[in-house]
Amino acid sequence: MSEVLAKTEAIIKKGKTLGADEVLAKTTFGLYRQTRFSNNQIDITVAWNDYVTDVALAWNKRLVATQIRNFQNTDKTIEQLFKLAKVSKENPTYGGIAKGTFKYPKATADKKLRELENPSEYVFEAIEAAEKEAGEVDAGGILYTKYEDVYLVSSEGPTGQDARSAIELSIRAFSQRDASGHGVDCCSSLKDFNPSRAGEKAGEVAKLARNPKQGEDGRYDVIFDPLFFGSMLGTWGGMASAYNVMIQLSVFVKKLGQKVASDIVTLRDKPAEYSVNNRVFDDEGFPVQENVFIEKGVLKTYLHNTSTAKIFKTKTTGNAGLVQPAAWNIEMDPGDISKDELFSQVKRGLYLTNTWYTRFQNYATGDFSTIPRDGIFLIENGEIKQSLKDLRLSDNALRLLSQITGISKERQHVHWWLEAEPPSLAPYVLAKDIQLTRPK
Amino acid sequence: MKTRLDKDIVDYALDYARSKKVEYAEARAHSTKHEELVIKNGALDAFVSTIDSGFCVRILANGGLGFASTNKWTKDEAKTVVETAYRFAMMARRKDKITFADEKGVKTKWSVEQKEKIEDIPPEKKIDELMEIDKTLASQEIKIPGRIMVCSINLIEKYFVNSEGSAISSFVPQIAAFAFITVVENGKPEQAYKQFGRSGGWESFDEWKMTEALLHDAKVLQKLIKEGKAVKPGKMDLVCGREVTGIASHESCGHPIEADRILGREMSQAGRSFIYLGGPYWIGTRIGNDIVTIVDDPTVKNSYGYYEYDDEGIKARQRYLYKDGIINEFLQNRETAAKLGTRSNGSSRANSYSREAIVRMANTFLLPGDWTEEEIIEDVKHGIYMKSFTEWNIDDRRFNQRYVGREAYLIENGELKHPVARPVIETSTKTWWSSVDAISKKVEFDAATCGKGDPMQGIPVYTGGPVIRLGEVYVK
Repeated sequence: MSEVLAKTEAIIKKGKTLGADEVLAKTTFGLYRQTRFSNNQIDITVAWNDYVTDVALAWNKRLVATQIRNFQNTDKTIEQLFKLAKVSKENPTYGGIAKGTFKYPKATADKKLRELENPSEYVFEAIEAAEKEAGEVDAGGILYTKYEDVYLVSSEGPTGQDARSAIELSIRAFSQRDASGHGVDCCSSLKDFNPSRAGEKAGEVAKLARNPKQGEDGRYDVIFDPLFFGSMLGTWGGMASAYNVMIQLSVFVKKLGQKVASDIVTLRDKPAEYSVNNRVFDDEGFPVQENVFIEKGVLKTYLHNTSTAKIFKTKTTGNAGLVQPAAWNIEMDPGDISKDELFSQVKRGLYLTNTWYTRFQNYATGDFSTIPRDGIFLIENGEIKQSLKDLRLSDNALRLLSQITGISKERQHVHWWLEAEPPSLAPYVLAKDIQLTRPK
Repeated sequence: MKTRLDKDIVDYALDYARSKKVEYAEARAHSTKHEELVIKNGALDAFVSTIDSGFCVRILANGGLGFASTNKWTKDEAKTVVETAYRFAMMARRKDKITFADEKGVKTKWSVEQKEKIEDIPPEKKIDELMEIDKTLASQEIKIPGRIMVCSINLIEKYFVNSEGSAISSFVPQIAAFAFITVVENGKPEQAYKQFGRSGGWESFDEWKMTEALLHDAKVLQKLIKEGKAVKPGKMDLVCGREVTGIASHESCGHPIEADRILGREMSQAGRSFIYLGGPYWIGTRIGNDIVTIVDDPTVKNSYGYYEYDDEGIKARQRYLYKDGIINEFLQNRETAAKLGTRSNGSSRANSYSREAIVRMANTFLLPGDWTEEEIIEDVKHGIYMKSFTEWNIDDRRFNQRYVGREAYLIENGELKHPVARPVIETSTKTWWSSVDAISKKVEFDAATCGKGDPMQGIPVYTGGPVIRLGEVYVK
């Protein structure tokens, strides 16, 4: 057993000795690096090393949690935590944590991502690729790497080690002040990483977006770029969490078994090997799994930890965070036509390449708006005719799911900032009759 | 209070950084003792208690910036952090070198007083007081099937030193709460979100009158479902309550006036600004009616965004962002100020030792006018009173924005009539601030968490202002 795992296990023993019913400890040694750039130059490179153990302790259905940094004051912290549990209040809905011993697949993290020799080279490669597509551009973005060693021990049986790595490049290129494109390249290992791919996409869209005209209110058939649709997949993934269902932060309340999307829509949560959110177990030590939560348009399940599963009289889906369940990586099943064929289906519509600032009037009904950014294009007879600006998608999250009529074969792994969170595997999507509005 | 920071290690890190060929170096330690209580539908879901303590080093060398942080408190680790930050600074290879605007070193200590010390309040009392609010809500005749309340307490200690001789220690206790409720009537749901926050002691909890505020919202939502009517779209007067004035001041004045955004440093995330060099808007350009003056002021006592020195060691002061309807002053840190040929006005903030300090707002609000709220309403022939909002957003130039009313009423001949269901204003920054034709005397504040930075740094702020009227704007 490694020294870190032994120290993590000592926390469990201490908690149990004090009289706790259940104790769970997860130690993460994380190395995070980020290079930020704007105006085609590097602004700053930052590194943050985090040595943290998350501890959850339950006593008589009272759940308390803390963090220990670098194993300092461990015994004292656990004693204080147990005291806190004793004065805390019972949570009648607390259903415990995962029990049993599990075998996990071997972690596939890329050790090269512990410390890149010269991350700025990737940044310049992406900027060059954008300039190759669009000529002179003003580009900004981030290059981010993550390497985490994770050790988990639970008093209920699960014990395991994981290693998680990621590299992400996000670049936004401006060919004019109001003409921009955004590209991302996200991978769990360096071998699959291609910064030029992100730069090319940003440059290509920035070039097409030149000289935009004011867009007009109306209902449009819309083709969503994977970058845009990744944001929406993140929204629906969040709403599939049983926790959010319980507090009505979801359009999926009381809709299990019901039609919530068009027949061609299948969504699954799957923290697969390629994903920047790849992992082998959840925060209870339960093995992660693939969960199809919308199958051919029908809502099949919520995403659970052990506690919410008990409330909903089902089994955990391996989505535990320390307090609430969350989606890891949303995949939309591909369609059977190409992106080009999808465009050819649009007589008059819009191609929206990216979005931000998605906000809801009402999470239960799903009324929301979001602001397309970067390239917004008018499509006529399957071809891009004009770059537009200043439009807002103002519709309903459930209605949008039901209006989907086409999905491309091509998919992209998408993650950037907090706008496309959790990460996803997103295709190009065609949805009919979507409301767009403009400022007056 | 016994310090949780090992100042010797922080000083050691700075000394070690100064031994390198640096143009500037700083070390900042930051410790947060954090408590969080989550009450979900009447049950205490979890009580979280943590201490997060660490330090960072930022180095300017060869015109490049490097930053590294850790929560391992050893001298060896301090050395590693300095080496990393120095290496990062040197590899920037910038064509135009970064410089910092001139400042003199400052040695000082500051703190926020607590009437009722948070450290003395037992956890049982915190739980009971929050549970009591939920119990009151649950016992109403109004059906509120979704209730979540979170109370967060942060005791924040910082120690900042730099190569210019600054040494600043501070202590800020902060307490915050938010609640999200769903009211259902006749099978229809409506939702409201409320945030509270203050710098100070446990006395804040009583001052907020959370129960009263949440009961008010619950009743408003019930009435809205029962009696709310859609608005007939068209041009009309729109009276905005302080929540709406506050969010508009934050989104369409505070954000676009951030100098790092103006210079493009946030271009790929939070975006740029409609204000830029060579563009149609700059300092001196008219953006609103001459009765519009919006300030950002970190020195509002006990405010959620309160500080006396920013995270670059610059003394805080009130900033006039839009003055008499004219773009007046940007929010600056030392890097942006050097680029724009001015001085920092103390706007640099970080939410953790592991994050770079960047340009942020503190408390952004519209200054009062000379009307009363009643006089404004009485003076409206046909319009809407949007007291609070649900959905809102703004484009990444901070020009095209939308606010959807939560508590809203029709105004006919100077009188409030029936509730209006989700009225929408979708307009430009210029139209919004140019349409303001009446401002009330009373300024009030709401707590908010402002989002910016990558990784995201939520930072406490106040939004706020008086009641205002926008004359003849399009509402749908």
